[in-house]
Amino acid sequence: MALGPFSKQDHLQITTLGLEFAVSEILCVWAGYWMDKKLGSFPWGIIVGAVAGFGLGFYQILRAAKQMARENANLQKAEKKDGRR
Amino acid sequence: MDVVEIISHHILDHDWGVTLGGFRLPITTHTVTLFAVSLVLLLGLYWISLGRQSRAGRLLTTLTEEYVAFIRDGMVLPNMGEEGRRFLPYFCTLFLFVLCCALVGLIPNMKTATANISVTAALALCSGGLILYCGLKFHGFVGFLKGFVPSGTPGWLVPLLFPLEVLSLIIKVCVLAIRLFANMLSGHMVLICLLLIIFIVGQMHIAAGAGAFLPAMALELFMTCLELLVAFLQAYVFTLLTSIFAGSVIHTH
Repeated sequence: MALGPFSKQDHLQITTLGLEFAVSEILCVWAGYWMDKKLGSFPWGIIVGAVAGFGLGFYQILRAAKQMARENANLQKAEKKDGRR
Repeated sequence: MDVVEIISHHILDHDWGVTLGGFRLPITTHTVTLFAVSLVLLLGLYWISLGRQSRAGRLLTTLTEEYVAFIRDGMVLPNMGEEGRRFLPYFCTLFLFVLCCALVGLIPNMKTATANISVTAALALCSGGLILYCGLKFHGFVGFLKGFVPSGTPGWLVPLLFPLEVLSLIIKVCVLAIRLFANMLSGHMVLICLLLIIFIVGQMHIAAGAGAFLPAMALELFMTCLELLVAFLQAYVFTLLTSIFAGSVIHTH
């Protein structure tokens, strides 16, 4: 089965990204809620947690995309090198 | 008919533990299943390791060899390299355990232990421990911490990126636990809901219930086959992702 420019591992990591985004959002909101309960700062903890969770999830997606692009470029370089030989 | 009661009875864990001298010993359906699966696997694999020359013994030995080769050549070596060879027993155990726990749940009157978040969290913690061990073993404490920051990062970004990278690793381990738990739980929930359709429709009119029987059973059969596939798929995904994460910690650049 053709997997395009992505390897089997890349496909698996792509399917993981959505869940990672959701879990980072939930964990950060939960941490913000916990802080709110401890410090009585409702609703600022939850708001900061939600923004931080979004940022963290987005960072993970960007990093995974960058890593896959780099690995793909390395693979193409190696294939070109092999072709010359 | 209390639908919620039936679904929760089917899905949730049941505790019939005992209290001995003020110490609570929780014996639940999930722990019994876990120990049963562990015992059967231990005894079965021990019997295979004896290398019996009977037909069944030879067949099982060949199957086990093929299984180990599949884990080694399909997951461990491509993702972790030669350094991963020493961790092969862990991956073989992990795959077989997750698979057997999921398959046992398809036997009537048995429970899927991996449909309990505590079990999957414990499995994910073991995987997290392995990832941590790999990082510390191959790079040392300082090298492992350095590996969290991508190469070429400007110095002023390091205090921001370091906690993000540490959190990313923790979230990856959490995701391992949640994915397995959610897949196992949802599959069983769908199975019981499909079966309940017959009784819910039957309460409206007995003929409607009889009419719903065949489509509901066909869907039930289809979902059971799908569950069989999901059991293999989730064991594969859990093991493969663990090897990918461990590999990414070993080969940081």
